[in-house]
Amino acid sequence: MKLLTKTNRVYLTFSLVIYVLTALAFYLVVRFLIYDEVENRLRVERRDFESYVHTHNSWSTIPYFVENKIEVTPAERAGQLAEEFTDTLILNRYDKQLIPFRQLTFYQPIQGVMHRVEIRKSLIQTYRLLEVITVTMVLFLAVLLVGTFWFQGQLSGKLWHPFYDTLSRIKRFDLRDDTSLKLEKTEITEFNELNDVLQKMAAKMQQDYRSLKEFTENASHEIQTPLALINAKVEQLIQTEQLSENQTNWIESIYQASRRISRLNQGLLLLAKIENRQFNSSQQIDLSGMLAEKLNDMEEVLSFKELQVRLQIEAPFIVQLPVSLAESLITNLVNNAIKHNQPKGYIELVSTADVLRFSNTGGQLLSEPERLFERFKKESTGADSVGLGLAIVRQICDSYGLCITYQATNGVHQISIIHEQVS
Amino acid sequence: MKVLVVEDERGLAESITDYMVKEGYICEMAATFREAEEKIHLYTYDCVIVDLTLPDGNGFQIIEMLKQLIATTGVIIISARNALEDKLKGLEIGSDDYLTKPFHLSELNARVKSLLRRRQFGGYTEIRFKEINVVPHTRKVFVNGQLTTLSRKEYDLLLYFLSNIDVALTKASIAEHLWGDNIDSADSFDMVYSHIKNLRRKLLEKGAADYVQSIYGIGYKFSQL
Repeated sequence: MKLLTKTNRVYLTFSLVIYVLTALAFYLVVRFLIYDEVENRLRVERRDFESYVHTHNSWSTIPYFVENKIEVTPAERAGQLAEEFTDTLILNRYDKQLIPFRQLTFYQPIQGVMHRVEIRKSLIQTYRLLEVITVTMVLFLAVLLVGTFWFQGQLSGKLWHPFYDTLSRIKRFDLRDDTSLKLEKTEITEFNELNDVLQKMAAKMQQDYRSLKEFTENASHEIQTPLALINAKVEQLIQTEQLSENQTNWIESIYQASRRISRLNQGLLLLAKIENRQFNSSQQIDLSGMLAEKLNDMEEVLSFKELQVRLQIEAPFIVQLPVSLAESLITNLVNNAIKHNQPKGYIELVSTADVLRFSNTGGQLLSEPERLFERFKKESTGADSVGLGLAIVRQICDSYGLCITYQATNGVHQISIIHEQVS
Repeated sequence: MKVLVVEDERGLAESITDYMVKEGYICEMAATFREAEEKIHLYTYDCVIVDLTLPDGNGFQIIEMLKQLIATTGVIIISARNALEDKLKGLEIGSDDYLTKPFHLSELNARVKSLLRRRQFGGYTEIRFKEINVVPHTRKVFVNGQLTTLSRKEYDLLLYFLSNIDVALTKASIAEHLWGDNIDSADSFDMVYSHIKNLRRKLLEKGAADYVQSIYGIGYKFSQL
């Protein structure tokens, strides 16, 4: 939920409750005042009635009052003698409508007989008054509510504008760019503080990122150069004519070891670079097409190992990747499929728009297939493998929204790549 | 032919220089940016091998400077950074090739030779080794004047041998030359063997001497006998 929607909603609920309560209280107060007034007048009339009875010692049923009605009936039994106010409805004589009355009931002895006296006063006028007051009140409150609500919306929209501006700038901010994060100065201290903190953080992040990048590059340089030196010296050494068999073997081992370190170093650096997202400019790549092309390139190796290639490309599998990483991904997959294959086996590529399946025949696995995605996890202890290939493949997939799974059943190893579901 | 090696790692520079001298080039070294700058202003080179990271400067600047002085000089970059951007930038400012460290000296040598052939004769030159004659621009091989049909890889292999005569070549360097950096399985060595066997057979069939020697545990050598 958006911040403004949320505040508006809370504000609206709160004001509605307050307004309903106010309206209710107002209604009750007005009603109380009106009743008080009517009852006071009824009491005055009771006094008039009592003085009349006292003077004349009788009561005629001739309507004495214009507006009010006084009804006197002999009381059957002398019960409760206290005076009592009640609301009652009386049928109008002329238009047959029920009209609300306030009625005062009291007991009065006339000529020695106890009579019940009911004095009534019409409430029709006061009810109308109450209605008008209530309607006006509700209308005013509604206008006030809508007005403040609108004003509040306008105001907070303006107040929060710098915040939304900052938010959109941070969203657009890319660590890898050379441009630093620039945020507008605002009138509001809190937002200025927020912007300051964000700018400082962004600058620090960019600096860290840059030094990390430099470090990986420098580390690469520092390690590759001595390795190049070892390689060069070994190459010179093998040019020597008089080498014994033992010496040749030692040199060969040194040579192999230095090449392994070099591969390892390059693999780890590649992993670090993918993790740090140091590759930009990813583009649409037809992964299935590239794989088919690579298999075509490796034709000699494939025919040498007597491997059959089966292609089933129903639709190209399109991904968004930097070119160099796509190449790395494909080289690792194809190399693995060739390296761990059996003589007279096959490599199969099935591709649809949603899924890419790359499978090959091979030996039984000793460990869980998924574990082979871990770094330095390998099936064989062969000197020619450093155990980073699948880790690199996994890292590339993880970093660029692809899901990869590895299954091995009955000597068929299958790697499936699908697009990650965008949630 | 004069070659300048700009490389700050003394040992590596020496190895390259030794190799180049053995191949019959006049070779000089420069360990720093200033030294390299001085040398390219004073002398003319046919080929310059440049390391990109130097203690007091950047290899790209040397290439730019060199291209302003003599545009025909061949340039090969050797760098520890296997970065696509560097390769593209290098090509953009006029370098001819890019090798990532660690590399094989024999590979560097083959690239230098191929570069010089392209630069000096526009590729229209023949490589002659005794009875073997290679015409690079048509990719044709003649033995005693007879055309020998070689596969693409066999041709590449022969050219690699001819660029490194009398040099022991490791199986790994041959495999990488033929299939690129990424080939690293033990199978590739078997494939190298099978390609060499075929090349040898085809050359022998046309009456060439058997120049390819196998060196136990290391690889192969194309020797003058």
